[in-house]
Amino acid sequence: MMANLVLAAIVVKSAVAAQMDYAKSTLGGTVTIQANMDSVREEQRAKIEAGEDKREMFGKMVRPQISVSTANEIASDASYVRDYSYELSVSANSNELETVESNSRMPGGMGGAGGFNPFGGSSSSEETALDGDVTISGINAYAYISGVQNESIEIKSGEYFDEDSENGVIISLDFAELNDLEVGGTITLKNVYTEEAVELKVLGIYDSSEQMANANIIYANTETAAKFLSGDDYNDGDYNVSNVNFYMVNSETAEEFVTKINEKYPELAENKLKVAVDTSEYDAMAGSIESVGSFATMILWIVMIAAVIIVTLIVTINVKDRNYEMGVLLSLGATKKNIIWQIALELVIVGSFGFVLASLTGSFFAKALGNSILESQMQSARVQEEKSFGRPGAQVGGRNGGMPNMPNMPEMPDGASMKQKMFAQKEETVELDINAGVTDYLLLFVAGYLVIILALILPSVNILRYQPKQILAGKE
Amino acid sequence: MKKQKVEAKRENVLMLEDLTYSYENESGEQEILKGVSAKFEAGKMYAIVGRSGSGKTTLLSLIAALDELQGGDIRYNEKSLRKIGATEFRLKYVNVVFQQYNLIKYMTARENVEIAIDFDGRKADANKYLKMVGLSEEEGGRLIGKLSGGQQQRVAIARALASNSSIIVADEPTGNLDEDTEKTVIDLFRECAHEENKIVIIVMHSKRVAEHADVVLRLKRGELNVA
Repeated sequence: MMANLVLAAIVVKSAVAAQMDYAKSTLGGTVTIQANMDSVREEQRAKIEAGEDKREMFGKMVRPQISVSTANEIASDASYVRDYSYELSVSANSNELETVESNSRMPGGMGGAGGFNPFGGSSSSEETALDGDVTISGINAYAYISGVQNESIEIKSGEYFDEDSENGVIISLDFAELNDLEVGGTITLKNVYTEEAVELKVLGIYDSSEQMANANIIYANTETAAKFLSGDDYNDGDYNVSNVNFYMVNSETAEEFVTKINEKYPELAENKLKVAVDTSEYDAMAGSIESVGSFATMILWIVMIAAVIIVTLIVTINVKDRNYEMGVLLSLGATKKNIIWQIALELVIVGSFGFVLASLTGSFFAKALGNSILESQMQSARVQEEKSFGRPGAQVGGRNGGMPNMPNMPEMPDGASMKQKMFAQKEETVELDINAGVTDYLLLFVAGYLVIILALILPSVNILRYQPKQILAGKE
Repeated sequence: MKKQKVEAKRENVLMLEDLTYSYENESGEQEILKGVSAKFEAGKMYAIVGRSGSGKTTLLSLIAALDELQGGDIRYNEKSLRKIGATEFRLKYVNVVFQQYNLIKYMTARENVEIAIDFDGRKADANKYLKMVGLSEEEGGRLIGKLSGGQQQRVAIARALASNSSIIVADEPTGNLDEDTEKTVIDLFRECAHEENKIVIIVMHSKRVAEHADVVLRLKRGELNVA
């Protein structure tokens, strides 16, 4: 039983270590380019101190963004970058289409393309951005739509777009039903700035499992979305994009890549853009996993200490029961070392048998215990987050709806809050591969023999005090 | 070669030299042995007699190296016990047969004898020694608890023989036995001394049994004298 517990703790610990390594190599390997909010705020403060009108300044505020050509150029460094993603969110009008004004899954007033944007929409123009009827969320690869990543978006019919799908879009099921649209059909949307009509082809219809999903979001590639920018913002095809992520070939080189970008593109810092390694996904996941690891370590120590105490007591009682036998052996010429060695040998034989038995049953036991630890830790993590954020799933920010008072909250194009994402990621990534490997079994044997050695100390001291005459005279 | 032959001819002799032993209790210091000296030769059975509390068992414990020497020395073939060391002395030179037999209960008679052979590092058949004390192979395969008192004492003697020790000391070996078995056991000890050329020292109460010994020594008031 003890050996089973030790093996379970060892297995959980190795599973945690493996998961952390995996998480580092996957979740920790993203470099992002985003607005440096500290610089932006510093500039605002300086302007206010210089006497500029606060309200006017807020209207003129420009969200620092990176041009698509620079993003593509950085992404072309194949020695570092495995893949990349960026987004462009724009509004469009429609004369002929109805919008899902009050989303059946959303509280009233949260539909439509409007919503919070402290920078005046995604546009970099200093003019106030115009709100349209629908939002077109452009992303260079459909796989990086957050809803696709967290599997809350599922294509019901048709297919996703790709980077070559000119004017191809996917629309929500609610939006399609409301406008009698089918895969292969077309919709015409107008550029809110130029009034120019663009005909878009419906490639697929998606459904979102998220309760707060905005049904008026139309997904397309960035080239298609860019057609709805103003002339200035389109900038002859070198428009600005946001949420720029570079996924590393090797996560270990992420910091090196950041340095390289900063050296090669000093204008990024000048434009208040920050290049950083994104560890948010890793941190969100690592917290729970680390607590599982710490708990497993605690269990390992408790079990080891308990095992030493219990085995010490068992050996002490056993030696006491057999002290007559020890006396006989000593009278026959056995040394005390012989006696201790015999006890140790017996323990090793019994222990080895137990360790082998634990190895046979331990994997199953470790799996059950590991999952139980994981579940309890996840539960406490949820409770902790609920205390910190409020009800799980509550929308606390986001560009397409929510409270307009949290400018630092990362944008979620599909309207989901950061918290929802974090929960979604945790649920997805915290899957421990709790299987005992050769190293785990070796560690079990090492830990077991260590327990035996420690448990032998006290009884050995007793044996060293033995006097055969005392024992055989029945005085000991 | 010549030297080896001389050594082989030399008689094994155990010498007690001015042994003293005392301990403290509520009444103060009790002097048990007051300069005991004696010589024991191979091929003879010695009986040490004396009243209860005369120090017979203490003397036996010292001879068997079960207790630490306080004063004086014990020499075997002129080698001091202090130099040989108690453990080695017990392993190579002396074996004890106790009144309570001191056999390991969860083992068979044969296994009890085999322990002594194993410690000595020899390869010998335990059955040979069991046969010498009149126990059959079938009896040798029995657990100690399944043997009578006399049989258990025989096993203890077989173990002493199997240990290949030159000195066998026995503490009241017939104390728990009936008269017939007592005689058989004493005869066994005599055979050990006379046929196996060992020094056999038996501590006992019974004068009747002591009469079978070659030499009878009396321990009185801490002194050992020929009776």
